[in-house]
This record gives sequence, structure tokens and C-alpha cells, in this order.
Amino acid sequence: MRRIGSAFTTAIVIVVGVITLLGLLVGDGLGNLSLLVQTTGIGTMTTVFLQLATITIAVTVLIGIINLLSVHGQRILRPTDGRAMTRVYSLILVVSALAVIVLGTLERSGVLTGEPPVTMILLEGVQVSIESALAGLVLFALVYGAYRLMRKRVTGSALLFTVVLLVLLVGALPFSSPVIRLIGSIRDWLLAVPVSAGARGILLGIALAAAVAGVRVLIGQDRSYRE
Amino acid sequence: MDTTTQGLTIVIILLAMVVSVVVTQFIRRRRDLYALREIRAYGALPRMVGEAIEANRTVHVALASSGLGAENTLLALANAELFYQVLRRTVIGTTAPIFSVSEASAVPLAQDTLRRAYESRNLIQHYRVGSVRWYPGGTRSLAFAAALTTTVNEQVGTNVLGGSFGAELALVTGAAARANQNVIATSDQLEGQAIAYVMSDEVLIGEEVFAGGAYLGGSAAQVAGVVTTDVLRWLLILGLLVVVADGLSGGVFSRLLGSLLGGG
Repeated sequence: MRRIGSAFTTAIVIVVGVITLLGLLVGDGLGNLSLLVQTTGIGTMTTVFLQLATITIAVTVLIGIINLLSVHGQRILRPTDGRAMTRVYSLILVVSALAVIVLGTLERSGVLTGEPPVTMILLEGVQVSIESALAGLVLFALVYGAYRLMRKRVTGSALLFTVVLLVLLVGALPFSSPVIRLIGSIRDWLLAVPVSAGARGILLGIALAAAVAGVRVLIGQDRSYRE
Repeated sequence: MDTTTQGLTIVIILLAMVVSVVVTQFIRRRRDLYALREIRAYGALPRMVGEAIEANRTVHVALASSGLGAENTLLALANAELFYQVLRRTVIGTTAPIFSVSEASAVPLAQDTLRRAYESRNLIQHYRVGSVRWYPGGTRSLAFAAALTTTVNEQVGTNVLGGSFGAELALVTGAAARANQNVIATSDQLEGQAIAYVMSDEVLIGEEVFAGGAYLGGSAAQVAGVVTTDVLRWLLILGLLVVVADGLSGGVFSRLLGSLLGGG
């Protein structure tokens, strides 16, 4: 029975995947092939599948909210690590989530009016400013990371990393001495040639692996939906 | 999408399909046909999970800014496969693992991954939906990173962080380092990748995260996926070399190709 179920889900994934791929890839600009896709209704089916996916993803937000409230509700009532702060963090999170849901509902129903909306004020005033403060802390975490890297093991790549980091930082200094200018030009070359090449290499590798992962799903080799 | 891009995409997909199917059959017949190169993170991962279990600490896996239905769906699926391999080694311990996600669409994926891990060990009775935690990340994953800094303080022994982290990954890895926890990290963003290299104990670079199933699971189809990626990579390198040679030789290759295709 389990094998039949697995074969059934695999068949659904392959059929829906191939139809969607054909609709998106061949649906336009490829002459007779595109005409074939359009006349057989594959284009319409692709649109329906994409709309279904969008609706399903929207529903997952509801699942997420239920998950958030239940997980943190449990942590408030039965903290697993016995730390008081765990309860406090979870309590703040649950209260904030419920408050935003209530405020949002009141705004949508027209009970709360005013410009800018309260939820927007909360987002701009609380979340954005706290995130900006956290972003400021990233620098210190990075410096600590560089120190940790060199303390852990002094390897060739660790040394190269530290030297490049120093060149980048010193090269960005706003002074006009000949040495700083020279380091600045080395920094520009580093960013334009090796850093850019390495970054493209990494991104190309990710793109190729993603393409292969997609193909594995299409031909039924990915097992995540079969078990 | 222009016609050239459409044609190239079709060729890449067909090529990947053919190579993947053919190589899978070969590897099923001869398991030692293709030796995977060493990736230190995958070598260290079982040890790190074992250390966490022996110390009665939990293993924390986190998927940042990747979910189903968006452009990074495949990244989410690849990370889910890696996390499945981590979790199926973890669930035999007494402490339940923690799976954090920042996208709501990743919650069902995370729950299913965790369920499969328990089921693979016949321990489904220990599966708790609450082990999956959703921390909404917003436009940037800073809020998610902040939430993870509190999670890593909860008796965690080993962290495996994947998905799409930016520079904020430094906050999480910093908190884990202060608590003497093991960290394996990766990201599809270059900033996150750089932070992972500097601040984690072991790092997965670029497409290595897509090979998690092949290294830790080792089924023929998963190894075939790695071989297919390698074949595509070599073809890409060959293509780049041809373009460079064509440029250096004043367009000899493009004229040859044009005459072969009947362009005169």
C-alpha cells in the first residue's frame, strides 16, 4: 500500500512538474512547439498550477502562526531548559504577535483609522530600528570571527583572508597618502578581479546544482515526497 | 525569455535528465564507480552530532529565508535533504532536535523532514510538531538571526545553519561560539558564505549543500546528482574556454560553428 502511495505521489509530481515546465519554458517564442503547447491547453494548466501553488503558500502563513503560538505557548507554560528568560522571550513574542494580529484586524475592518496605520508605525518604529541596531552589531561579530579564525588554526587560507580583509579595510580609509592610494588601487583590483571571479564561480556552481536538483524532482529521483 | 535562453535551458535540462538517469543505473550496478571527493564538513558532521548526543545536548538545524514556492525552492529542498540526514542521526538521542525556519512555507517542509527522520528510525512516537519553530524573518533575516541567538542558548550542542543567510549569520555563529557549540554553516548569499567560512567550525561552500544526500545518505540517485553536476560543470568550463579561444583567435570558432549550422 505504501509503495502504491509512493508511486502515486511520484506520478503526480512528475506530471505536474513537466506540464508546468513546458508551459513556462516552451509556451512562447518557439514557433510550432509553442503553438502545440498553447493548443493542448498546457499553458492554461500551468497558470492554474501556479495559482494553486500561490494559494497553498498563502495558507502556510496560517500554519506558521499556529506553530508560533503553540510552540511559544508551551515554552511559557513548560520551559524545557528551566531558564526564566526563555519564558520572558516567548511571552513577549506571543503578546507582540497577538497584538499585531488584533491591530491588523481592526485596521482592515475600519475600526482603527488614521495615517500612517498603527501597524506601519510599529513596523517602522520597532522592527526596522531594532534590526538596524542588530546590523550595527554584525561588525563586532565579524571582528571576533576574524580573531577566532586566526586563533583556531593559522592556515594559508586564514592568512590570505586576514591579509585581504586588512587591505580592504585600509584601502577604504579616506586619506590621500601615496601608500593608502596604492593600497586603495590594490583593493579595487581585488574586488574587480579575484573577488568577482570567485563570486561568479560560486553562484554558477549553485545554479548548476539547483538545476540538477530540479531535474531530479522532475524525473522522480527526489524521495522527500515519497516517504 | 529570449529564444537563445530558452534553447540553452532546454538543452541543460535534457542533458541533466539523461546523465542523471544513465549514471544512476551505472552506480546501482557498481557502487564504487565514482569516488566522491572529500568535503570536511560532511566528514565532521557525524562526529559533531555524536558529541551533542553524548553530552545530552540537542542538535539545532536552521533554514533561513528559503521556502517552497519562491525562487529558492530548490535550495530549501536541498537543505531539507541535508537536515534529514542530520536529524536521522540525531533522533536516537534523548533530547529532541530543534528545527528553526524563517519562511512560513518552510514549516510543512520542516515538519515533514523531521517526521521522516523519526520514521526512518522507527521512533515516530517521539516526534513532536513543536520541535519545528517558525520565526518570521521579514524582508531581512536579522529578526530570524536574533531569534536564533536565543535558541542556541538552549542546551544546544551542534548547529547546522543553511538556507539564505546574509551578514547577520555572524550574530548566530558568534552566539554559538561563545557557548562552545559546534557550527556547520552555509548560505547561497556571498556575504553569508564569507561569514560561514570565517566563523563556523566547518563550512559548506557553494553547491556543496546540494550534495548532502550523496555524502551522508549515499543512494545511487543522489550520487548520480553529484556526477551530473560535475558533468555540467566541466561542460560549462569547456564552453568558457571555447569562448575565450574564439576571442583570442579572432572568431575562428564562431565562423566554424556558423558554417556547420549552414550559415554560410
